[in-house]
Amino acid sequence: MQPYQEEYLVNLRQFAALSQRERPGELTCEEYAARIMDNRARTIQLGRRNMELLRTGLFPVLDDLFAASPEELRELEEFSFRLYDGRTELDVGLFCQIHQALLSLARQKRDRSAMIRELYWLGMGRNSLVSKLVGLEMSDIEEYIARMRLCFTEAAAYLKYYHEVEDTETRGYILRARANMALGQFHSPGEKVALLKKTLKILQDKYYQEKAPSLPWERFIYLTHQNMTSSIAHSREKVMTPDDMADIMESAYIVYQQRFDEAEMQGKQPPAKSAFAYYAIEYFCGLYDLETFLTKVEGLLDVADPTDYSWDGMYGMISLPAFYSQYLAQYPEKIPSRVAYVEHLYRRMLSYTDSYPGDPGEGNLFLYLRQLSLTFIETGGGVPYGEFLQRLLLRFAPEVYRHSRTVAEGVRSLCSVIMEDDPTFFDDIDFIRDICAPAEKRRTVLDYAMGCGLFHDVGKISVIELFSRTPRQWFEEEYEMARLHTLAGQILLEPRPSTSRYAPAALGHHTWYDGSRGYPSAYRRLDCPARQMVDAVGLIDWLETMTSSSRMYSDGPKSFEEAVEAAAQLEGRRFSPLLTARLRDPGVAEQVKDALKRGQEDACRRMYEDALQTMGREG
Amino acid sequence: MEQMDQAYAVEQKGHLVVRRDEVGPRILFVDGGACDITGLSREKLLESEPERTVRGLEVQRLELDGCHELWVLSAASCNLDHMRELTQVNAALEEALKAAEEANQAKSRFLSSMSHDIRTPMNAIVGMTAIGLSHIDEKARVHDCLNKIQTASSHLMSLVNDVLDMSRIDSGRMTLSEEDFSLPDLIHDVAVIVRPQAAQKEQSLQLQIGGIREERLVGDPLRLRQIIVNIIGNAVKYTQAGGDIQVSFAQRPAPERGDGSYVWLDFTCRDNGIGMSEEFLGRIFLPFERVQNTTISRIEGTGLGMSIVKKLVDSMGGIISVKSREGEGSLFRVELPMAVSVQSRMEFSLPQGQTVLVAESREDQAGQVIAYLEEGGLKPVRLNSGLEAVTRLTEAQYEERMPCALLLGQELVDMPPLDLAAHVRQLAGPSFPILLVSEDDWAQIEYRAVRAGVNAFVPCPLFRSRLLEALAALTSQSERDEQDLNGQDGDYSAFRVLLVEDNELNQEIAMELLGMTGVQVEAAGDGAQAVEKFQNSLEGYYDLIFMDIQMPVMDGYEATRRIRKLPRQDAEQVWIVAMTANAFMEDVRRSREAGMNEHISKPVDVDRLMEILRGHLKPKAAED
Repeated sequence: MQPYQEEYLVNLRQFAALSQRERPGELTCEEYAARIMDNRARTIQLGRRNMELLRTGLFPVLDDLFAASPEELRELEEFSFRLYDGRTELDVGLFCQIHQALLSLARQKRDRSAMIRELYWLGMGRNSLVSKLVGLEMSDIEEYIARMRLCFTEAAAYLKYYHEVEDTETRGYILRARANMALGQFHSPGEKVALLKKTLKILQDKYYQEKAPSLPWERFIYLTHQNMTSSIAHSREKVMTPDDMADIMESAYIVYQQRFDEAEMQGKQPPAKSAFAYYAIEYFCGLYDLETFLTKVEGLLDVADPTDYSWDGMYGMISLPAFYSQYLAQYPEKIPSRVAYVEHLYRRMLSYTDSYPGDPGEGNLFLYLRQLSLTFIETGGGVPYGEFLQRLLLRFAPEVYRHSRTVAEGVRSLCSVIMEDDPTFFDDIDFIRDICAPAEKRRTVLDYAMGCGLFHDVGKISVIELFSRTPRQWFEEEYEMARLHTLAGQILLEPRPSTSRYAPAALGHHTWYDGSRGYPSAYRRLDCPARQMVDAVGLIDWLETMTSSSRMYSDGPKSFEEAVEAAAQLEGRRFSPLLTARLRDPGVAEQVKDALKRGQEDACRRMYEDALQTMGREG
Repeated sequence: MEQMDQAYAVEQKGHLVVRRDEVGPRILFVDGGACDITGLSREKLLESEPERTVRGLEVQRLELDGCHELWVLSAASCNLDHMRELTQVNAALEEALKAAEEANQAKSRFLSSMSHDIRTPMNAIVGMTAIGLSHIDEKARVHDCLNKIQTASSHLMSLVNDVLDMSRIDSGRMTLSEEDFSLPDLIHDVAVIVRPQAAQKEQSLQLQIGGIREERLVGDPLRLRQIIVNIIGNAVKYTQAGGDIQVSFAQRPAPERGDGSYVWLDFTCRDNGIGMSEEFLGRIFLPFERVQNTTISRIEGTGLGMSIVKKLVDSMGGIISVKSREGEGSLFRVELPMAVSVQSRMEFSLPQGQTVLVAESREDQAGQVIAYLEEGGLKPVRLNSGLEAVTRLTEAQYEERMPCALLLGQELVDMPPLDLAAHVRQLAGPSFPILLVSEDDWAQIEYRAVRAGVNAFVPCPLFRSRLLEALAALTSQSERDEQDLNGQDGDYSAFRVLLVEDNELNQEIAMELLGMTGVQVEAAGDGAQAVEKFQNSLEGYYDLIFMDIQMPVMDGYEATRRIRKLPRQDAEQVWIVAMTANAFMEDVRRSREAGMNEHISKPVDVDRLMEILRGHLKPKAAED
């Protein structure tokens, strides 16, 4: 590999390590805060260095790819597979960028084998990117799924000419692409089952096997069965034929029965994940009713070990409650009799998470907690959803937490000034207009401002890899995906009573005041009663980002005064003139600036206290 | 004898018994002869004032006692005829009076409701103007107010127009024009007007075209449009949010009107709205009548619409009928005889017998597309999914038997059609025709569709001529030269492109690709050369500049900045496209800040290059 490629890879690992939550060790709160900021600065430096490496090393090669030597192309491929090899992910966005270029080259050269290979790997990269978009509606991510699936489909279409393909490697890519067409979400489970059934038929066909005997056929078949059993929709209302169900049951038997037999031989319980998957498929295929299924899941939940921090242990303590909640949410009539049980499960989960002995950034802990964030059922006496989300941000997205807490203080401060001037400013919001007592109204507005600030970026949990694990600036496609955090935030906040009022801030804080630009289009400012608050969050969010040292743009952070000046330039277009007008008052600007500083300090202090409590001083 | 008959015929007698007392004379008895002579009924005579009733008649008064008299009435035949005539006139006048009174009452009701209906939008205009003025610094708020003012003004204008129309029809001042018009254009205009109204109420509005053989007709397109818009507009008004409205247009021969120079245009509009009572159906075409229903918020309008429609249909020699049931919906049917234009039916040069892939999962839409393609002599193959389409095209490309085009429809079972287009464009190359048939507003989706590689757009509702015309333009072009993309967008040979690229191989490839489109390409080896070439050229000489970023001597950013600063008119206008592998968002931003209009990544994708030519040079070709 080229030196720039080696250095880029080293930087990626350092970047990942620095993005984790810092252990407090023997540090004081102030030292801890300084360390956080220092780590952040180092990640930015690494990011900038990475961009420099790509600009001077990689991009010139892509620039002149038609003239690249075979050695350069080989190195490029090798580099790309160090970024992502189908399992380990270091920088999938860059991987896709490289393979898109290699695919263009293959098309240009009409090199069929190279086209098939590049289509396969581009499909794999896109699948990895799509899998990062968690909890969003199918309609919001359909285009990314389509892009991935079309790559596999085109490669798989060469199956018809399988006999003409000379090398086993290309044959393998064609078959794997065929199987991977069934990756990702579908509009109906029937579509997925139909694809997999056909794939299984192909894989079990001697005609194909005899032409490439060295391919791992058994593994291909097993993985296809596994795919058949996974991601089947939870709703039994979706249309499935009896044949489809029989096929799923058959695959489930092949995939899970062996594991159950092995567990029985060793006198152990089967793994919770396998047991749940098997139960879910049996329920899905109509073997028993929902009540029986829930009882069976409760049986698995009851035996989950709160001291087991293996993957299966984490699954039982966090992921299983998430699935359980999902089924309950789908059939709300089942909830009232299970409120106490759900509250018990969540308290147990929090205590388990707090006592986690390892690095919470590693392993599946975050993945499972993120899964629970999507299915969480809020009950009157249980864990408030907002608190749960705050913990997630604090521990797994510390930079998002710092930013959100800082913005919250800034918005609160700006709203405080506004309420002095005009106590009716937020009266378009029902629950504020209804308050008559001035002091209470003011307190309610300030609390609301704080909540909107704290939760405005909570959707980043769903696409966190783009925000905290991209060791460089985004490419255009990543930027498009990152925009989905606004919709993801709304999806998290809106359904739960304690957070629903903050949903507009999550949805609308990146739209422009005059509606001419910004995103997402789902937010219509004039239809939103909370628009004045959303405007305030949008402005302070922008000021904090512009002044933060976390900016990876080469022009660096602005001073607060410069940022205010720049915001004023966008007055009436991006920002509400009613807000920017207030910032023209130097006293008000100073007040907001102090609030941002205070917010940052407060965020660092909370991160320190939480780290002390959950990670202890060792390390 | 004849004279006697005449005497008998001319003499008729009638008898009244009249009482005279302190109250005045009163008729107590009447016989049939008196009724005939006076032309009044028995009841009327008994109520009438005797002296006035017999005025002008011959009366013989015979005293019966102190207070009763027998009046013998006689009348000559001419008088009798006169009386009969008068009686008839009286009756007609009475009818007319009654009708006038009813009309007057309807007009009073109309004035009363109109004053409300006019006041409502007027109030909105006044109110929103005041709000806008008080928030003059809030652009978005003012914008919102202006939008609402615009809506209210349009509404007000339609009220006034209705009243003026009705008055014009009533006074016989309205004449129908006889002009040649395109039915597809007319229906497209109708769709543009009514679709947003239905969308606002989240109603499903389906416009179906069935068996339209004659697309060019002769008639009054303005009034025809008025009829159609009014009926569909009513359906939208009287159908609840989320309801269904189905509109269909069809034609059938009109043999009774001669040699095929006429057709019947059948238009139906079915909704599942509030419907009408039988009693109201009897009055639906009377002016100033509106359905009252409490489940639908108060409907605004003059109540003249259907009356105007009826009069217009009548004056066109057509028939309008309506079926409706309260709470279930309504079905309007209009049949109009239309003259067929003498302009001959358009014939298109299509690659007969060749395959066209039709990617559309909607049954109705696909069926229609397939029927039109078969009529055009093509072989349509229908596919429901993007995956099927890509599989089929990959196989076809491998076997070198590519279909002549891909026709993308409204829906696919597995992905949005434009996502499929983007992949097919890469798979099948720049010259493969991709046509989009969609209900969407082209202005809204054009950017995405062109970027995805769509060559042509055919709007819905779908007409045979539009589909085949677009397809003919694309396929004949493709036949002429597989790589040549001139054709429907205009001739690219009139355009000049400056290619700024330091790498010789890249320059060669790009020159070759661009050259194949017919466009004139000139090359510059670095930014400085580019600036010099631009500076030394005549105004407007270059239409497009493809600018590499990383170059020796002067990079693309600097070159662009310098070109933009040149003191000549085209310096600001010339379209500059950055070509670079630097794909960070910051790079995109930097190229924009330097004055570049677009950004394409390297290695340059031939399809993307073509998209830019299509996207940018097309409008210019059209303007020229």
